Amino acid sequence: MALLELKNISKIYGELKALDNVSLHVDKGEWVAIMGPSGSGKSTMMNIIGCMDKPTKGEVLLDGEDISRLPGKRLTDIRRDKIGLIFQQFHMVTYLTAVENVMVSQYYHSMPDEAEALEALGRVGLRERAKHLPSQLSGGEQQRVCVARALINHPELILADEPTGNLDEANENIVLDLFRQLHREGTTLIVVTHDPEVAEAAQRTIVLEHGRVAREVVNENFVE
Amino acid sequence: MTKRRMFLRMVTASLLRRRSRMLIALLSIGIGATILAGMVTIYYDVPRQMRAQMRSYGANMLLMPAEGETLDSERLSAALQKLPEEKLVGASPYRYVRLDMTSRQQSFTTAGTDFEQVQKTSPYFSVEGRYPEAPREILVGKEIAEMIGVKEGSSMELTWQPAAKDASGSAEDDRVPGATLSGSARGFGDAAVYVTATLDDEARIAELTIDASTQTPEYGGRTAEDALFLKQFIGKSLPLSMNEDVDVLSGATVTSTAVVEALNAATAADAAAKPKTTRYEVTGILVTGGEEEGYVFMSTDDLQTLTGEDRLDVAELSVSADEEQLNAYAEALTGDGVQARLVKRVTKSETAVLGKLQALVFLVTVVVLILTMICVSTTMMAVVSERRREIGLRKALGASDNSIRGEFLGEGMFLGLLGGALGAVLGFVFAQVVSVNVFNSSITFQPLLLPVTVLVSMLIAAASCLMPIKRAVAIDPAIVLKGE
Repeated sequence: MALLELKNISKIYGELKALDNVSLHVDKGEWVAIMGPSGSGKSTMMNIIGCMDKPTKGEVLLDGEDISRLPGKRLTDIRRDKIGLIFQQFHMVTYLTAVENVMVSQYYHSMPDEAEALEALGRVGLRERAKHLPSQLSGGEQQRVCVARALINHPELILADEPTGNLDEANENIVLDLFRQLHREGTTLIVVTHDPEVAEAAQRTIVLEHGRVAREVVNENFVE
Repeated sequence: MTKRRMFLRMVTASLLRRRSRMLIALLSIGIGATILAGMVTIYYDVPRQMRAQMRSYGANMLLMPAEGETLDSERLSAALQKLPEEKLVGASPYRYVRLDMTSRQQSFTTAGTDFEQVQKTSPYFSVEGRYPEAPREILVGKEIAEMIGVKEGSSMELTWQPAAKDASGSAEDDRVPGATLSGSARGFGDAAVYVTATLDDEARIAELTIDASTQTPEYGGRTAEDALFLKQFIGKSLPLSMNEDVDVLSGATVTSTAVVEALNAATAADAAAKPKTTRYEVTGILVTGGEEEGYVFMSTDDLQTLTGEDRLDVAELSVSADEEQLNAYAEALTGDGVQARLVKRVTKSETAVLGKLQALVFLVTVVVLILTMICVSTTMMAVVSERRREIGLRKALGASDNSIRGEFLGEGMFLGLLGGALGAVLGFVFAQVVSVNVFNSSITFQPLLLPVTVLVSMLIAAASCLMPIKRAVAIDPAIVLKGE
C-alpha cells in the first residue's frame, strides 16, 4: 500500500524545469534512497515531499490525501503530524539542551513529555548526554539527537537529507544502524544522499538526473 | 510537562543562555523604563515640589475688608479657619499708617505685621541684621535707612498722630464759644504741625499754642515762639484765610500755611487723640528691591499699642494650591465682612510654568520611549536574522506562524517584564536624585509605579517586536534543508 505517491509532478522556475514529470511510489514501511548529482532536482523533490513546497504540476498523495494544492498552513499541519525530518547540518536549537531539543518537536506536535524524550535519547544512546547543550556534543551525537527528535512523534515518514554528509564513518554506521532499526519497526524512510554506501543500505535507490528519474536500482543485497 | 511550561522554558532559555544579545535589548528596555518611571514620578511630583518652590515668589491671595467693613485680627483668624491647615503656607496681616519721625521732620509709611508670617509669605525679603523678635523692635526699608542714616542697632522715635478730623463738617460744628480746638497739618518735610486754640465768648481765637517741634528750629520752628506771628491770630474767627487774615512768617511759609490749615481743621480736643511717641530699636534693614524698601515695619502688637486700634488693611496669604483650588478657597473665604482675591500675576504664571514643565517632562518621556522602541526593535531584528535557521527549523518541525509569533512576543514581553522591574527601581532612584538635587526634597515611592512601569515596558517591548516578528514569520522552513 502506497504511503507516498508522486504523480507526474513538475516544478518549473521560469525557464528552468527543476523537476520534469516525475513519478514515484513509496510503500508503507519501505526504505528508499534518492541519489543524483547537484542540480538534479533532489532538493526540490525533498521540499515537495517534506511539505515545504508545492509542485507546479502533478499530484502528491500522502497517505492517500492529495497535498499538492493545500494551503501553507495545512501543509505545516501535515508535516508536523506525519513527517520526521533529519538534516545534513543537524540544526539544533543552540540554547536548548539535547532533551529540550527533542521536546521542541513534541511541543509543536502535541504535548512535551520529558520522560518520553529521554527514552528517545536512550534509543540513540544519548541518555547520559541529555542535559548537554549542542555546543557540548560532537557532530555524530548531534545527528543522533536529531534522529531522536525525528522519531519522537512516531511519524509515518522519516525524510533524511544527507544525514551522514557531515559525519565520520563510525558515526555514519551508528546512524545507519538506527535507520535499520526504524525500518524493522515499520517506519517508512526516504533518504536523500550523495553517498553510494548510504544508498546501498536502502531497499531501493532512485537516481535523478536533470529533473527526471534516470533509473531505479533495487538493492539485491538488502538485509532485513 | 504542559505546553505552557515548555513555552516558558524555551523563552527563558533563549534569554538566559544567549545572554550577550539579550542583554542589549534588556538594557535598552531597562533604560527606557528607568526614564519612564523617573519621569512619571517627577511628572506627578513636580507640581507638589514646584508649588512649594513657587510659594517663594510671594503671596497668591489677598484678604481685604469687604465694602464698608473693617478687618481686624479676630475676623482674619476666623477667615483662616476656613482654609485647610496644610495648604496654608503663611498669612501676613498688614496695617499701614503714616508715622512721623519728629527729629527729622519726616514721616514714613509704617506697616504693622507679623514677622513670623512675613518670612513665610515673602521668603524673598532679605534682612541685613535680623527680624524683630521683642516689642519695640522694627525693620527699616533700605531706602529710608539710607535717607535718614539708620543702621542695624540704631534707634529712632516715631510718633503717631491721630487723625485730625474724622468726618467733614465737624470742624465747623466745634467752633462754639469757649471751645478748645486742636488740629494738625503737614508742614515742612511732610511732618506734622500741631495747634491748640481756645475760643472766647464770641468764638474768636483767644489763645493759641503752636507745636512746631517737627519743623526746622531756625525757620518753621519759630512760628511757635514769634510773638508778632502769634499775635495776629488773636481775636480772629475761624476759618482763617492766608494773607488776608494772617501773614506768613518770613522764612517759614510752609509752616505758617500748615498752622492756618491746622486751625481751620481743628476740632474739639479729644484726650485719646493725643500724639503718641515711642522709641524703637532697628534690628535690621529690609532689602527687597521693591517698594517695601520705602516702608518701616513693626509688629502688629507694637502698632496697636501705638495707635490704640485693632485694625488691619489687608492680609497676604500664601496658599499651596493650583488655580482652580485657589478660586474655590477665595470663594469660601469671602463673606463675614472679608473678601478674598487672587493675585493673578502670581497664580497665572505659576499655572503656566507648571503646565510647561509637565509638558516638557511628558515630551521627553515620549521621545525616550520612542527611542527605546527603535533600539529594542533593531535588536530584535538582529536577533531574528541571527536565528533564521532556528526559526526555519521550528517551522520545519511544525511550528505554526502563531507559535513563532507567540515565542518572539513571549521573549519580548519577558524582556519587558525584567527591564520594567529593573527600570521601576532605578527610575525611582533617578527621580529621587533629580528631586534632591533640583528641588531639595525627597519623594515617596508610589507603589503603583512598579506595575505601571512593568506593564508599559511589556507593551513597548511587545510593540517593538511586531516588525521583527513579521520578518520571522516570513522565513521559509526550506532553508534548513541543504546548502545554507
